[in-house]
Amino acid sequence: MTDEQDLGTLIRDALPAHPAPRALQDWALAQARAQSASPESAAEGAILARPGRTTRNAGRWLYAAGLVAAAALGFSGQQLAGVRTRANRERTELVSQLVDTHVRSLLAEHLTDVLSTDQHTVKPWFAGKTPFAPTVVELSSLGFPLVGGRLDYVQGHEVATLVYGRRKHFINLFVWPSNATTGESNDAFAEAYHGFTLRHWASGGMQFWAVSDAAASEVEAFQHAYTTTP
Amino acid sequence: MLPHLDAAYTLARYLTRNTVDADDAVQEGVLRALRYQHTLRSDADARAWLLAIVRRQCYDLRGTWHARAEVVSYEDAPPLTLVDHGESADVAMQRKQVRAHVQSAIDTLSDHLRETLILREVQQCSYEEIAMITEVPLGTVMSRLSRARARVAERLRGIVDVGDLS
Repeated sequence: MTDEQDLGTLIRDALPAHPAPRALQDWALAQARAQSASPESAAEGAILARPGRTTRNAGRWLYAAGLVAAAALGFSGQQLAGVRTRANRERTELVSQLVDTHVRSLLAEHLTDVLSTDQHTVKPWFAGKTPFAPTVVELSSLGFPLVGGRLDYVQGHEVATLVYGRRKHFINLFVWPSNATTGESNDAFAEAYHGFTLRHWASGGMQFWAVSDAAASEVEAFQHAYTTTP
Repeated sequence: MLPHLDAAYTLARYLTRNTVDADDAVQEGVLRALRYQHTLRSDADARAWLLAIVRRQCYDLRGTWHARAEVVSYEDAPPLTLVDHGESADVAMQRKQVRAHVQSAIDTLSDHLRETLILREVQQCSYEEIAMITEVPLGTVMSRLSRARARVAERLRGIVDVGDLS
């Protein structure tokens, strides 16, 4: 230690970062979630217990975001350009359903059926509910904290949905076995649909669709994080 | 905003010096941030914005700090024994001692100098971000930073050879 040392290095070495405790993270996620609820529940207070503390009224910023999303959906339906082939049409139908489901999950305060940031809680939750088990990976160190899981129905089939957070956005990752729905593909590609970003890929006999209103680059980063994390 | 929770908690821990107040400050800060999120112009500012809110909460809680603060005084730091490179069997212990000295040196800084140093070195904030978070002009940030570094270096003189003071 007699060597000359950089003061900044010494200081950084002496001052570790303090990650927020799990309880605080869960509470903050629940707060953000509560604010995506309907105006009625926001008006009623959407009161959530703080960890070991008092309760507070939640605001409603995400509600406004939901309204914007709903307005965007008003333009959905069948008025999509470039629908030429049957495959295209099927895929467009699938994309539209996935975006509908994504928006509904944010609006209806039904983001998750199982709310947990623990992959070992979320994965077993799907067992017995779906005939297939989605791979649940922990990506919070990469900036995509796991929020929970949910069951959805897309084109009449059960779909396992994993919910991850990204800044103030959510990413719904829809997973189902290949050959279950129409409009499937084994290619990886990205789609933009009325302000939403979708990324599709197939792996291990499963179809994956990530849907979010986060920036396209972030959804791409999410796909990379999910597919490269063992 | 949620990805900045760790940064917010780290700042709160260093400003309040205890987990109870840090928790309170971050919770209050998150509630405010969610409530006023629509006023945020760009995502790029989200971290500095949340840190600014949490910092203010920390100072609001100031009245309750001192009763609970876990302050390590400079004198409590274990004595440092310097050894030659030839006998560096105890490097880990040495490192630990140096760390304790640096920590106690930072602890003796005033709140303003300490928060500026932490925002820069731990949170890696830009000068502009620090100016925004601590609500002072850029020049003040720079002078606080240089004073903070000089004081820590002064405390460490004779214990560690600190090369780069800039």
